[in-house]
Amino acid sequence: MKRIFLSLLFISWAAWAGAQVSVTASVDKTALTLDDELTLSVEVNGASGNMIMPQLPSLPAFNVYSREVQRSSINGKTTTVFRYVMLPRFVGNATIGSVQFTYNGKTYKTDPISVSIYRNAQAVQQARPASSSAKAVSTGNYDSAAAKRPRETADPNLPPLERDLANQAYARGNENYFLIAAVSDKTPYVNQAVALAVRFYYNRPFYDAPYKKPSASNIFMEDIGSSQGTQSIGGVLYRYEEQRYQLTGPTPGKATIGPASVQYVTGSSPLSVLDRLFVAASSSKEQTAQSEPISLTVRPVPAAGKPSTFYGAVGTGFTVSAQTDRTQAEAGEAITLTLTVKGPGNLKSTADLQFPSLDGFKMYAAQPTSQTTAVGGKITSTKVFKTVLVPSASGVYTIPAVKWSYFNPVSHTYKTLQTEPITLQISPASKTNSGFDFGAAAAAAAGIQTLGQDIAYLKTAPAPAATPLSRLSVWQTLNWVMLALLAASVLFASVGRKSLANKKAYSTAKNRLKKAFTSEAVAEAVADYLQQKLRINTGSLPLKAIVHALTKRGITPATAEAFALLWQRLDAARFAPGAPDTQSAQDLAQQALDILKLLEEEAK
Amino acid sequence: MRRILFTVLFVCLAAASWGEQSQWQQAETYYREGKFSAALSIYEKELKNTPNDPYVYYNIGNCYFKMGSKGLAAANYYRAFKLAPRDADIRHNLALSLASGGERLVPAGVPEVLHKAFFYLSYDEVKGLAFIWLWLFCALGSVWLLKRQFKRTLLASAAVLAVCFGWLYARHALEQTPLAVVAAPVAEVRSGPGTNFPASASVPQGHLLAVQDEKDDWYEVIVKSQGLKGWVEKDAIEQI
Repeated sequence: MKRIFLSLLFISWAAWAGAQVSVTASVDKTALTLDDELTLSVEVNGASGNMIMPQLPSLPAFNVYSREVQRSSINGKTTTVFRYVMLPRFVGNATIGSVQFTYNGKTYKTDPISVSIYRNAQAVQQARPASSSAKAVSTGNYDSAAAKRPRETADPNLPPLERDLANQAYARGNENYFLIAAVSDKTPYVNQAVALAVRFYYNRPFYDAPYKKPSASNIFMEDIGSSQGTQSIGGVLYRYEEQRYQLTGPTPGKATIGPASVQYVTGSSPLSVLDRLFVAASSSKEQTAQSEPISLTVRPVPAAGKPSTFYGAVGTGFTVSAQTDRTQAEAGEAITLTLTVKGPGNLKSTADLQFPSLDGFKMYAAQPTSQTTAVGGKITSTKVFKTVLVPSASGVYTIPAVKWSYFNPVSHTYKTLQTEPITLQISPASKTNSGFDFGAAAAAAAGIQTLGQDIAYLKTAPAPAATPLSRLSVWQTLNWVMLALLAASVLFASVGRKSLANKKAYSTAKNRLKKAFTSEAVAEAVADYLQQKLRINTGSLPLKAIVHALTKRGITPATAEAFALLWQRLDAARFAPGAPDTQSAQDLAQQALDILKLLEEEAK
Repeated sequence: MRRILFTVLFVCLAAASWGEQSQWQQAETYYREGKFSAALSIYEKELKNTPNDPYVYYNIGNCYFKMGSKGLAAANYYRAFKLAPRDADIRHNLALSLASGGERLVPAGVPEVLHKAFFYLSYDEVKGLAFIWLWLFCALGSVWLLKRQFKRTLLASAAVLAVCFGWLYARHALEQTPLAVVAAPVAEVRSGPGTNFPASASVPQGHLLAVQDEKDDWYEVIVKSQGLKGWVEKDAIEQI
């Protein structure tokens, strides 16, 4: 029951609160020129908590280029003002339609507002009564009404550079565009990093604005980066583009930062063809904003108390570290010692660190390298010193702490940093080069004391003639040609021999058969013919297989049958008991000759 | 008449030989007196006459080493090493000059015996060896084709030939990779071919680089020991 009562109470309160919300819209002037800006203020009373931005109507006659939200609470009543800065685009009467604001599900609308846009200031004066309290019409880069405003001053708790910039901006608040420059310290020490900021303020649009950076004499200037921001000056919201630099004076004396400049064209954008038809030619003007030059006095660091390990670094927050690429090595092997100094400002102009000499090592120092990075509007430098250490003998060595000092410009004292000592374990060299050595690799245990390591002496005469092996490769083209010839001749010999044997097979067999007086001689002549001509090896095949092979080579069945009969007769004659019969051998030879003639004709 | 002609020819040859000897002696004298740049200029003249003499490269390397240019010394030792890899002095000086830049002649993890075996012969000698085996293989192949003999010897020679050509291929691949050494005290490795690109690393002299590409006055390189890739100015390195 109690919960329901509380819910009803809350709903009724919300309804009452919602009912108290009011939304009004107003403009700062109703008559203006094309050069003037118009501020539309949408005031919401009675709404609190999270709220969404009002929804503007379509504004074809204006370019909206700035938005601002201001919230105040007096006696528990919250007022929120949404301001829109707009620039007119065309001459004539324009209407700003209803602005819609939605809060707690309810939509509020403002009344439309009419404004007149004139070509020039005289027309505005005629349209407006003389006693009008509206803002004076501004022309060009000067706002005469703003000159009457009381001068604002920057928050004294701001850093010196920000405070100086803000105060310069307040002093120039009667201008629509201006450029200012300031440094964080006008009397820095040598090598102390000083910030230089150049800001271009504007409360109206511009385009095509090339920036010319300031010149620097007797001081190094490095680009840090750029940023944007806003600042309210006399109730007018200005935007600014900021470019930051870091300055470091390498020598004591006077240094000067010249003026920076921005050449800008007023207006929202380059005019389109339609704009050129309807807008006065004077609506866009090319103007130049320029900053004041700045003089600095670079002071020398105090001589009193300057340590021997001071190499010229000035600032705060430096760190020094040392490391080796390995802590265990053999005698004669190279170890790289890297010492890294990090800190603010520019370390390039500081002197190189001197490594103390180390007993038992040959040292080869490399050229130091430095690198600068801009992070968060500040430059951080890193300087790296590398030295190659070559131990000449085995043992345990300690690279002592390396000291490095800097001057702190805040406390005006010198501070000394030092690295951690590094222990190196050097073992005896495990290998020698071709049985002799010029230094470290010599065995210390054998009573020979290693004193150093050096290169081998000169060669006192030209090198001996090239080895036959390497000369052979000089003739590599000839080699390839000869090899090709060899391969060709071998192939020719191999293939040619077979081809020749094939061609001569019949004539050879014919001659042998004419001289054959035994059946064995006839059989051998026939077998060799089959081997050379038809590539049939009769020794390993039965008669049936020989006949089959003959038919596969294009021999007709009749000839194959005749050959089979001849072969059977030859077998019978060869293995018949008794003395060989010359007459029957010659008959067989004649029969064989006839059959071979047929085979010669039919073979493929 | 013929005798006079021979005498004149002999005298000319002897004079040329003596002149060459005296140049080497003069350079050695300068070297011993510590006049390394004077010795260097003589060896550089000699190089024009005998561009493939490894000892001239070696002596030039010695002069540069003594003058403190470890990078140029390493480059010349490397050239000498490619021509005469079995020379102990050349190997020693190359290893020492590379070590001064934190580099190693024998890559980490590779047994020195294997490295020496791989570089026992120069590239030209490996080519010559491969040709000899190719001849032998072809001869044996011919015999086998014609007579059907020495089949086992032919197979063995084929195996040796394959090893030879494998070796030749590996050495050829190395020869085809252009190497360079950092000759300036420090070479800055940048992300592009120009000083407007940021430097990502600085490499001290004596470091070995593999050249990948070139554009105007810049080489694209890989720092072999670090696996770092970038662009360095041509003036800062010496191609081998």
